[in-house]
Amino acid sequence: MLEMQNVVKIYRTDLIETHALRDFNLRVADGEFVAVTGPSGSGKTTFLNVAGLLEGFESGSYRLDGKNIGELDDDARSRTRNQKIGFIFQSFNLIPDLDVFDNIDVPLRYRGFNAAERRRRIERVLELVGLASRARHVPSQLSGGQQQRVAIARALAGEPRFLLADEPTGNLDSLMARQIMDLLEEINSRGTTIIMVTHDPELANRAHRNVHVMDGQVTDFHAFESPLAAAV
Amino acid sequence: MEIRPILSAMMRNRSGVLLVGLQIAITLAVAANAAFIIQQRLEKIGRPSGVDAANMFYVYSYGYSPSYDSKPTLAADLDTLRRLPGVLAASSTNGMLLSGGGSANSYQASANTKAPQIPGNYFEIGEQGLNALGVKLVAGRNFRADELTYSGLDNLFPKQIIVTRTMAKALFGDERVVGRLVYSPTGDAAEIIGVTQNMMGSWVDNRHPENVVFHPILQRGARLTYMVRTEPGRRDELMARAEKALSKPGDGRFVVWVHSQEHYIKNSYRSDRRMVVFLWTMICLMVGVTALGIVGLATFLVNARRKQIGTRRAIGARRIDIVRYFMVENGLLTAFGVIAGAGLSFLFSYWLSNMFALPPLKLRFVLWGIAALLLLGQMAVFIPARRAAAVPPALATRTV
Ligand SMILES: Nc1ncnc2c1ncn2[C@@H]1O[C@H](COP(=O)(O)OP(=O)(O)OP(=O)(O)O)[C@@H](O)[C@H]1O
Ligand SMILES: [Mg+2]
Repeated sequence: MLEMQNVVKIYRTDLIETHALRDFNLRVADGEFVAVTGPSGSGKTTFLNVAGLLEGFESGSYRLDGKNIGELDDDARSRTRNQKIGFIFQSFNLIPDLDVFDNIDVPLRYRGFNAAERRRRIERVLELVGLASRARHVPSQLSGGQQQRVAIARALAGEPRFLLADEPTGNLDSLMARQIMDLLEEINSRGTTIIMVTHDPELANRAHRNVHVMDGQVTDFHAFESPLAAAV
Repeated sequence: MEIRPILSAMMRNRSGVLLVGLQIAITLAVAANAAFIIQQRLEKIGRPSGVDAANMFYVYSYGYSPSYDSKPTLAADLDTLRRLPGVLAASSTNGMLLSGGGSANSYQASANTKAPQIPGNYFEIGEQGLNALGVKLVAGRNFRADELTYSGLDNLFPKQIIVTRTMAKALFGDERVVGRLVYSPTGDAAEIIGVTQNMMGSWVDNRHPENVVFHPILQRGARLTYMVRTEPGRRDELMARAEKALSKPGDGRFVVWVHSQEHYIKNSYRSDRRMVVFLWTMICLMVGVTALGIVGLATFLVNARRKQIGTRRAIGARRIDIVRYFMVENGLLTAFGVIAGAGLSFLFSYWLSNMFALPPLKLRFVLWGIAALLLLGQMAVFIPARRAAAVPPALATRTV
């Protein structure tokens, strides 16, 4: 369960203050697949960053799995990200110096698993994303869709409760985008809660629920409805 | 520890890593050899002179007038010097210790002309000579006043001599040599009447600086040098007094200079001290440049990996994990550098010992160098590593 109440996030630069989130309220139940939509600059990435503990916030309350996130120190936030959250980025964010196997290994090493456990998990998720034969390829030897599947494998290897994705198909063509979406649906069907930011109405429609963000706030949300309908 | 993935990431930045690794290797090779040479020079500079150098000085007198007579001048001067309160002993001498100039002769343990010739640095002194040096006899006796002769061509080789322990050993392989005869290459014989503690002779660069022999001979001629030893702490005062006491207007001679024994020691080791300073400066510069190289490479790698660092943070790395990554990477880099550098050190030493006849490098200088460079690397990489740890995790979503 993810619960945000009146969360405020302000970016300050020398010149201006940007209220990226203002009184942001959202509840996501376990097992949900939520699509977050909204115009550019509305605060979708900011929301995901706060939700994923990549950034702090100024006020409001945020509880993840019953834990008050505002109270955690930097190390505890790192641990929470490592154990409970999987990230999928628009530009994949694989480590270019490491091959597929070692990329998936990174969060598992931070988790402190032993070598046998890590190998077991890596092989399992590589099987799941269909890239078992590419374990020793480096990212530059893979297509965009394959790289994103590796990133998904990396996010899943720790068996997180939440998967946060910021436009996971933004850099992919529509065929690959659909394959990634199929994969995410399958993952969600096994119990992982997914929150996905997307600009693609077709993909947003496949989620259980759409959350529309505008000007740093959730304007409305409708389960199983198109974001276009919600905007009317 | 995540050594293997760090290694494979290093392999992808090969050129920078190789350059800095090579720099570390060269620094180790040069610094270890330089430190070894420094240590030898310091050991040389720190050798005990064996004499009471702190309380010794020399007076040089030059007689210029036609009426000048050296024999009575010498006797009067010695008397004057010995009467100065605080003077312990005074003697004439043919040379100054550790001054870079002196006299040498060959000595043989038997009259056989084929017997090995042992080089000896000889000093012509009077009955107070040993006392003026502050050198003690370990066996036998001192010269008596009636054994002294004046220097001249006819008595180049005296009837009695005193030798240092080292000279005794060099001649006879034994220190119990009192009463034995020593020969000059021309067959003159002298009896060894005493053996002294070891002391340095005239030359700091002599291969056998402690092969010293004393002859019971007084100086004569226009140039007279006196060797004086004072009570502790009164040297400078007595140097001024001695100069004044021997400078009487109208006696046909003047005091050219008065120098302390330490003045000569300082001059003799000047080039050694310069070498030490030069090598130290070189070590510091090389180490400094290497530290800059390490900081530069680490800074470059941190900047090039900002997105990757943000991603690592996003997927669970704590700040300490990021710091550790760069520390381990640097440790591996330095380890490769010093392994190559250790080999290079001995190659360099081999070349140096062939070129300049230096002794071979001792292993412990390489080991200390390795330890110092590992520490230096860890210190140099710490600041860039901390900067890396400060990369915010949100960078993962905010960069494309
Ligand atoms: N680090 C930052 N410093 C200052 N302002 C920022 C920073 N990050 C985001 N913002 C601002 O916060 C607001 C919300 O940005 P955010 O990235 O959340 O938008 P978004 O909905 O994800 O947009 P897009 O669809 O284009 O990705 C924007 O006005 C943006 O300019
Ligand atoms: Mg965004």
